[in-house]
Amino acid sequence: MIYGKLWLVVKPSVGVPLFLGACAVGSFSVHFALLTNTTWVKAFLNGNTKTVMAEGSAAGAPAAPAAKK
Amino acid sequence: MDDPNKVWPTGLTVGESEELHRNIIQGTQIFGMIAALAHLLAYIYSPWLK
Repeated sequence: MIYGKLWLVVKPSVGVPLFLGACAVGSFSVHFALLTNTTWVKAFLNGNTKTVMAEGSAAGAPAAPAAKK
Repeated sequence: MDDPNKVWPTGLTVGESEELHRNIIQGTQIFGMIAALAHLLAYIYSPWLK
């Protein structure tokens, strides 16, 4: 713990929410980047495997999208 | 009011500051472990390095 004295300089009522907010913004942007740059996240959210009945495709089993890039 | 242990500008004592920091570090570690688990599950579901 090398930054233990940080809170002598940074007010906790400012530093803690700032830190948690930065984590939240970072996490949100990573999830959003994944959502926009992959297909499997959207498919997962759409419950894509459920459309098997609609399409009536031969696969049947809700296999994970193995080869999907 | 003028407790010699209080350090400005925040007015915490060194002990209070280190206690807060210890908890912040622990919280971050727990967040990290949950994230590691999530990455493992995501990789199992859709391996992105293959």
